[in-house]
Amino acid sequence: MATTLSVILDATLITLVLALAAFGLAIIYGLIGVINMGHGAFLTLGAYLTWATTHAGVPFVAAVLLAAVGVGVVGLVLEHLIIRHFYDRPFDTLLLTWAFFLVMTELIKIVFGTDFRNVVNPLPGALDLGPVKVPVYRATIALVAILLIVATALVFYRTTLGIKIRALIQNREVASLLGLDIARMYKMVFVVGAATAGLAGGLISPMLSVDPYIGNIFLVRSFFVVIVGGVGQLLGGTVIGSFFIGGLETIFSLVSKQVFAQAVVFAIAIVILRFRPSGLLRHR
Amino acid sequence: MTALADAGRAPPRRSLSTFALSENGIAVAVLAVFAVLPLVISGYPIYILPQYMLFGVMAMSLGLLWGFVGILSFGQAAFFALGAYTIGLAMQSDLGVNPAYVGLLLSLVVGGVLAALAGYFLFSAGVRPTYFVLVTLALSIMVEQIAVSQSEITGGWNGMFIDRMTVTVGPWIAVSLSADLPAYYSVLPVVALSYALLRWLVSARFGKILVGIRENEDRMAALGFDVSMYKTIAFAISGAVACFAGALYGTQANFVAPSLGGVLFSTEVVVWVAIGGRSSLLGALLGGVLVASLSNYLSAITPEYWQLVQGLIFILVIMFFKGGLAGAVAGLGRRGWRRQVAP
Amino acid sequence: MSELLRSEGLTKRFAGLTAADRIDFALEAGSVRCIIGPNGAGKTTFLSMISGHQKPTSGVIYYKGRDITALSVVERARIGIARKFQTPTVFDALTAYQNVELAVLGTRRPKHQQRARIFEVLDLIRLADEWAKPVQFLSHGQRQWLEVGLLIAIEAELLLLDEPTAGMTATETAATVRLINMLTREFGLSVIIIEHDINFIRDLHSPVTVLHLGRVLMEGSFDEVATNEAVREIYLGDAA
Repeated sequence: MATTLSVILDATLITLVLALAAFGLAIIYGLIGVINMGHGAFLTLGAYLTWATTHAGVPFVAAVLLAAVGVGVVGLVLEHLIIRHFYDRPFDTLLLTWAFFLVMTELIKIVFGTDFRNVVNPLPGALDLGPVKVPVYRATIALVAILLIVATALVFYRTTLGIKIRALIQNREVASLLGLDIARMYKMVFVVGAATAGLAGGLISPMLSVDPYIGNIFLVRSFFVVIVGGVGQLLGGTVIGSFFIGGLETIFSLVSKQVFAQAVVFAIAIVILRFRPSGLLRHR
Repeated sequence: MTALADAGRAPPRRSLSTFALSENGIAVAVLAVFAVLPLVISGYPIYILPQYMLFGVMAMSLGLLWGFVGILSFGQAAFFALGAYTIGLAMQSDLGVNPAYVGLLLSLVVGGVLAALAGYFLFSAGVRPTYFVLVTLALSIMVEQIAVSQSEITGGWNGMFIDRMTVTVGPWIAVSLSADLPAYYSVLPVVALSYALLRWLVSARFGKILVGIRENEDRMAALGFDVSMYKTIAFAISGAVACFAGALYGTQANFVAPSLGGVLFSTEVVVWVAIGGRSSLLGALLGGVLVASLSNYLSAITPEYWQLVQGLIFILVIMFFKGGLAGAVAGLGRRGWRRQVAP
Repeated sequence: MSELLRSEGLTKRFAGLTAADRIDFALEAGSVRCIIGPNGAGKTTFLSMISGHQKPTSGVIYYKGRDITALSVVERARIGIARKFQTPTVFDALTAYQNVELAVLGTRRPKHQQRARIFEVLDLIRLADEWAKPVQFLSHGQRQWLEVGLLIAIEAELLLLDEPTAGMTATETAATVRLINMLTREFGLSVIIIEHDINFIRDLHSPVTVLHLGRVLMEGSFDEVATNEAVREIYLGDAA
């Protein structure tokens, strides 16, 4: 009983962390169709910026927010210089964002060095819930993930901005006819996606040792989360996709090596992608 | 009427200069240079060149797929590593026949079959090209991880040591490739032959169809071509070639580790081919050889800065020089009536 | 004259919308038929179901007496059904020669005969002099013709042309009439044409099928259709 509970709890926590990490990509890929292969780099940069600012004495929450802003700025520069010229060419954006990942990773190595860094856990310890123990920090992050998703839902379905953005997704031509500034909206979505990834990177950083490739653990996973959940299904899709990928991985890693479990989950995700390219969630 | 009208449109006779500047001409020249190189240089470059040449063959396999069919794969290195592991395992076993030959043959089969199966699975469903890239990326992660986890077979993170092979002809001739020169002069013809074979393949009907699929897939389907079958075949060939090159590499480099099949290396191949020129087999081949060797040389001196520069070059190539170096050269030597290199 | 194509009860429903509603259609071998109708009448949907690009919700398609409803686009192209799309779908970066060459490569023609055949087709579509030009530099009308040329080159027997004269000058349109007449009378091909250009249809002297809201409104000769009250209404009503 205790083991089942702890497995379910583990799976849920992992799922929500994954959802947090994937959310930035869900925004960029789902809303403006950019296959952002640099997503991992955004996460990594967020983690490093968080480390750098906490190291300089800035309190954790402020540090994470600063990191999010920092990554958002980087995203802005990338979008403005390069990405905005290639929105109609998905293949090229794929390669260019990948090149961005290569360049950014090297910049991080140059600036921060290649040693592992540690971000101090601001909420150490574990909650004793009787049969199971839950690390406080992990639980908090999971809550943050939920809050973020709910907040985004509110923005999308209750604000004018959200309506405009959804109109943009539905039909670009109509949206421009309605007087929406397409270029600006794309820019904004890209920056928000980048900042969200930076935020996620910062929040996740205390749970892992930070190295230049930390974000890439989440790259392919995030893509599968978004695709399996359904591209454009920002909320339900990300949650379902995360449960699928994260949950399955947890379960499989119980019976085999973690490394192998990931391979199996990828294989299953590929099969799903092949049979249901629009994702598990039925198109509304 | 038609015959007479035809005569007026006959292509100009190919002069020596046209040949010399054509891709075949340049290929012959390059081959000649490589053939005489060991007479001029010796030592480390001769030791290491066969390995870079095999990188070039792997790059060529990507060139076939990406340049001619328009399918990008981030997983060629996975096949490469598979080939190396295959020959490594073959050479550890007691088979009676030359184990290296078995390994090489097996690598062709393994690469071809796996690629055919994966290709069929994905292309028959019309998987989007961008999704295909992600799938190949996932596949290279999977291969790397399986190589790590099955450590009893593969040696895990520590990798696997592989002997140099011996070239045998029946029971009469046996030349060990342990020394630099025999190794060099065994690999070079294989590389040249692979290039020639692929060249022949793409200049024939098959290649033209692949280009048609790249240019307008829907039109090809509406003309009666089984597009997914052609894609699968192209993928199978590229997988087999990459796997074979990997097997030969394994016995050259004497070592294979999981990172050989991993994401970073897989994507580096893409950078080589982009810079060398994806639509030209020679461009891809040379891109692989030259950029890889340059990369390794500069990496030893200043790893981060070189990777940074390489990333920036890659960005520039994608943005402004789609055809890579080969495309730039072809642009310079473009004649009026016939394109050598498809855009 | 034998029947080449027949559809029975061909229907296509998208969520809530019936694009094609129980269309019964028949075409004799070696003949032409024009399909007209206001926008949204289901013309392109109908053509797509014949070519295989859309799967019908219900109904059957017979080609040369054989039920082909389950065949794919590729399979239908192989048995002689070829389609020209609304926007010219050709190989823009390749030359006219290379375009036709690809189509010819799909046939069983031996290699030494291919060149002659390619130029034969190029002559037909008046592109013989511009064979080396990348197709993206040809005029819109020339590209429409090139696409028709591709269909001829694969030796299709049933040509499905979606607005072949869109964007053409009067001269080009007249030349297209002559081309289609030659295809049917000399080569025995059958052609279904979706068109809006009334002059073109009149000059072609072909029978007309009128679609409206997914259904066949009427069929008849050009004169019969042009003078029909119901037909005039749907067009005038639409224009209002």
